[in-house]
Amino acid sequence: MALLSLRVPDSRAPQRNKPRRRRRNAIGALFAVPALVLFVVFAIYPMLRVFYLSLFDYSLTSPPEFVGFDNFHYLATDPQFGAALWQTVVYAVGTYVPALTLALVLAHALNTRARGSGLLRLLYFLPVAISWVAVSVIWRVVLNPDGLLNQALGLHLNWLTSSDSAMWGLVVMGVWKETGFFLILFLAGLQSIPGELYEASRLDGAGAFGRFRYITWPMLLPVTSVCSVMAVIRGFQSFSPQLVLTNGGFGTQVVNLFVYKTAFENARMGRASAVAVLMFLLLFGLTLLQLKVFARRDR
Amino acid sequence: MSGPRTARLGRGTTLVAAGLGGLVFVAVLAYAILTALKPASEVLSVPLRWLPSTFAWSNLTLPFTETPFAQYFLNSTVVGVSVTLLNVVTCTAAGFSFAKFRYRGRDAAFMIVLATLMIPVEIIYVPLYSLVYSLGWVNSFAGLIVPAGTSAFGIFLMRQAIGNVPDELIEAARLDGAGDLRTLVSIVVPVVKGPMAALALFIFMLNWDSHLWPLLIASDDEHRTLPVGLAAMQADNLGSAAVPMMLVAALLAALPTVLLFVALQRKFVEGVTMSAGIR
Repeated sequence: MALLSLRVPDSRAPQRNKPRRRRRNAIGALFAVPALVLFVVFAIYPMLRVFYLSLFDYSLTSPPEFVGFDNFHYLATDPQFGAALWQTVVYAVGTYVPALTLALVLAHALNTRARGSGLLRLLYFLPVAISWVAVSVIWRVVLNPDGLLNQALGLHLNWLTSSDSAMWGLVVMGVWKETGFFLILFLAGLQSIPGELYEASRLDGAGAFGRFRYITWPMLLPVTSVCSVMAVIRGFQSFSPQLVLTNGGFGTQVVNLFVYKTAFENARMGRASAVAVLMFLLLFGLTLLQLKVFARRDR
Repeated sequence: MSGPRTARLGRGTTLVAAGLGGLVFVAVLAYAILTALKPASEVLSVPLRWLPSTFAWSNLTLPFTETPFAQYFLNSTVVGVSVTLLNVVTCTAAGFSFAKFRYRGRDAAFMIVLATLMIPVEIIYVPLYSLVYSLGWVNSFAGLIVPAGTSAFGIFLMRQAIGNVPDELIEAARLDGAGDLRTLVSIVVPVVKGPMAALALFIFMLNWDSHLWPLLIASDDEHRTLPVGLAAMQADNLGSAAVPMMLVAALLAALPTVLLFVALQRKFVEGVTMSAGIR
């Protein structure tokens, strides 16, 4: 019915009266209200308040007490915070550099209609669909001194109860969990490259390496840039495996866990807010830097 | 003439390598599933035994009889479904508003929404917690559901999708006398149900994985979701005798999202790639 009336020319349509149009747009604005209210209350307001709270000593039960930049000053000299920052960097780099590399290589291998490639994709994707805590519970067994990893590698490491290896146990698990996520993104990127480009280069006699160097790599740069930004953010968001598997012990206390303990175990809400402000600035800066680096190479 | 053949050979080799890698990847899951079905005396045996001497099917009920696992599962389902429905409704409505109406402040509001896409939510958890605490929503489903009721990514996605719906279609519905709500429900929604489904799946899986926020908000068994409950069970059961029960619990907790994922792979891939802005 609606489509039929489309055919009927409405001569008055161009000069439709203004008040009615304005009323309709006001109604249109109402559709955004539920989302915007939730946004303002549960995202914008807390965002602004985290900057405010970072200047206070605040324990949730007593009123906030203004302390200026004391929280930041404290953090600058707190070896625990320094360690948490460093351990986060080690975890993020250790996990996401191999995961991204592996995903890129696998995306090339699996970007085909060959029989079995669909099943293989599914196998690599499966860990993405499992929650971090469930993955951690499974890997506690895999990383047990008598577990799968030691027996497969012929090692006898106490993966989760030694400062030498706890971080690397988490990293191995992280690569297993996250590779599939980036594989999805790289495959989508590869599939958006027009096939004619490869046809043309083949006619020009380009080899496999040449095709990668001059077509795939430049065409994938935007995806690679998105992936690396996401990797940084995901790396710095890590929390569940460290809490579940080591409770931050043995050199695995990442920043999010540090914030959690500072705020909710030691009731130092102001100090935790200061960490949040620092993380916000750091991540924002890193993201801008990455986008800039990739934009320049893109040209 | 050797070009295409070597290329094919190269492709074959990489596929085989990818296959071996896939085996390593899936070995972890196979190990978890088989170990979950071993009698307690056979878990963590040296040398490694893949198959149990007898399958201990009774392990499957251990989480239900020994822990409040069923309650956690139910809580996760209630929260996951509610958050997903809320997101689909609020994001679709806001997307419609941003895409098809003109009013003062619209672009500013949309830009603010977009800007928050870059902020990891963990950063605002301290003030968010104190807000929810003062609302009296600690240990309540409201505290788990309402703050997660909309998402910047969802609004962005639905605005893009609805922007592609022809204006003529919407005009025609109006000329037929349909109100804006009717137009949205009976004209726009059927056209964008693909992106809506991708969004729903993405939000549900994200919520199923959510750990930190429910850990802060839900400390009692009545409201604990699966990640919080699983972590608590794990902390209480570190001995190797509890290995089969914990593995059963973890695998059952993984089942809904894994099944959804296997059934709706394409939708999920759509959701992930759209969230990254690749397509």
